[in-house]
Amino acid sequence: MQKKAASVSRIIATIINECRLFVKDIAGLSLLLLMPIVLTVIMALIQDAPFREYQNIRFDVLWVDNDHGQLAKKLQEDFSQTKQFHLVTSVDDKALDDAAVKDLVQKGKYQIGIVIPNGLSAEVINSANQIANDIGSKIGAPGKLPQRESRPGNDIQVYFDPAAKQTFKLSIMNALEKFTTKSEAELTLSRLAKTMNSQDSNPNDSVNIDLQNRLRAVGIREASPVNTSVSSATNSVQHNVPAWAIFGLFFIIIPIAGNMIGEREDGSLTRLKLIPGSYFDILFGKLFFYVMVGVLQFYLMLQAGVYLLPHFGLPALYMGHAPVALLLTAIVISFTATSYGVLIGTVFQTANQALPFGSISIVILSAIGGIWVPVQILPYALQQLAKVSPLHWALDIINDLFLRNGSFYGILPKLSILLGFSAVFFIIAGIVEKRRTR
Amino acid sequence: MLQINNLHKTYKHALEPSLQGLNIQFSTGIIAGLLGPNGAGKTTTISIICGLVAPDNGDVVVLGDNVRTELDIIKRKIGVVPQSIALYPQLSVFENLQYVGKLYGLEGTELKDKIYHYLKIFGLDNNAKKSIKNFSGGMKRRANIIAALLHEPVLLILDEPTAGVDVQSRNMIMDFLKMYNAQGHSIIYTSHLLEEAQELCDEVAIIDNGKLVVHGNTEDLISSHHANNLEDLFLKITGTKVRD
Repeated sequence: MQKKAASVSRIIATIINECRLFVKDIAGLSLLLLMPIVLTVIMALIQDAPFREYQNIRFDVLWVDNDHGQLAKKLQEDFSQTKQFHLVTSVDDKALDDAAVKDLVQKGKYQIGIVIPNGLSAEVINSANQIANDIGSKIGAPGKLPQRESRPGNDIQVYFDPAAKQTFKLSIMNALEKFTTKSEAELTLSRLAKTMNSQDSNPNDSVNIDLQNRLRAVGIREASPVNTSVSSATNSVQHNVPAWAIFGLFFIIIPIAGNMIGEREDGSLTRLKLIPGSYFDILFGKLFFYVMVGVLQFYLMLQAGVYLLPHFGLPALYMGHAPVALLLTAIVISFTATSYGVLIGTVFQTANQALPFGSISIVILSAIGGIWVPVQILPYALQQLAKVSPLHWALDIINDLFLRNGSFYGILPKLSILLGFSAVFFIIAGIVEKRRTR
Repeated sequence: MLQINNLHKTYKHALEPSLQGLNIQFSTGIIAGLLGPNGAGKTTTISIICGLVAPDNGDVVVLGDNVRTELDIIKRKIGVVPQSIALYPQLSVFENLQYVGKLYGLEGTELKDKIYHYLKIFGLDNNAKKSIKNFSGGMKRRANIIAALLHEPVLLILDEPTAGVDVQSRNMIMDFLKMYNAQGHSIIYTSHLLEEAQELCDEVAIIDNGKLVVHGNTEDLISSHHANNLEDLFLKITGTKVRD
């Protein structure tokens, strides 16, 4: 009993000592607490645009209409109606042509250029007439529309800035595909209606096709699989804030490793080991302190998501409905980060070795762990590799709590994986330390 | 106070053994000097006595307890002053000593009184709240010694306690060690300052290449080897070749 009291007393003394060291280092303190918040806010803001998949961004699109026909006019109307595109038909009061578009896009002055070829509308009308005639003859429609042989090579030319990202190109191509398909379908149906409403038919049998309504017969709406009043799954804050908060939290390894190496270099560690009683009391006190600092840091970053980001025009972070589970998760993530710091501080002999390795390893672990880009879009091999990153499991648990209505018991298996990482880090650190003192 | 029998130690990846059959016996209540050139094995011997390094072979008995089996008991009886300033530079000397004292199980006014008692002895009581980083070299050395004294050790082990300090600080440290020994405490002391060792030590053991070369009463050894002083004796025994 007396031994236990002594042990607790040593732990408390170590926590107080670490607090003193922490408070005396004002610069370190502010770096540890403020820099991750700044990082979280900036990354959430920067990553917000691509996360919205360009939905709210307005692009200038160079537009050359060599067709001047029905389809080109319809496409121009469709593009103009969306808030995403602004069609530019002249630059410096000069009408654009194919060569000018290529030049401006190639120089990066504009990101997109679209050239509608001459004869496109005629070709599409001919194609629609062919389809309408085919269908009409099969259903006994009286009329027949003029048609000729198809002439290939009437493709719409789309030019992209060579520096444009693939996802950006895809979203533009999808929009263009959607508009052309819609226009072609409208044209085909109107031609079909024309064959059926020809002069020989009874006017009472007239087919009045309300195309807009018919095309809306089947709609697509994103629905949340979880019962939450907050539409959190699709907003960038919900993904970015926890991800960068975890990333920032893991940087606690820098002061931990730095202090461990400092204690070894200045002899404080030797003194601590010369004191009777288990060194684990002192180690536990240090770990406890850093875990609590990590938890504080993590909650500060989440609070920045709740209260600070709305001031920058972003939605507030929704922190789920399991506060106890979230607290436990924060403690376990912080404990895992702390144990990694102990490993780095033990394995490396000098701060010059430990600090760059520690920082870069966190960046690597975060990259493969889905902090930078979602793991789902990575190749299969990298998706499997993500499982060796504790940051991946940390983010997965937070996503469970914030986005999937995860419960306390539901996250326990994943928390035990994080604790497994900690155990491995401590075992390796223990082996290295033992070998060093031989 | 100390019995070292056939002590062997070879560090991993080391080409040469650090200790090869070292035997030393120091009696209780004396100031004993453990001397030797660089690489002789002094620090390894002290590290084994304190339990920081495990021996490959041999036995070390400190104040009647074996290092292999009773290390925690030994740690309570000994105070070690490492060569480096093993204190947190950001903290004040009072905060440093308070932490060390608490780890030894001291609390409250007992701890505070002891801290100020030793701060006064070592002339640091007016700088109790000053950070260690703002101390002079001599002040740091004195603070380093106090950290090993708070639990009133029976045996005080000092590794180069006066390295790099001014004359005034060295005199203060020397006077304290004599006083502490006069109170019945044993002291083991290593130093390269042989004039200082001659003044302080009742007995000296000179080791070289991990073995005991000579051991005995300081004055008896000097006269029996027809040396002028301890430094002369040291050079006669260990040679004049520079050690790295």
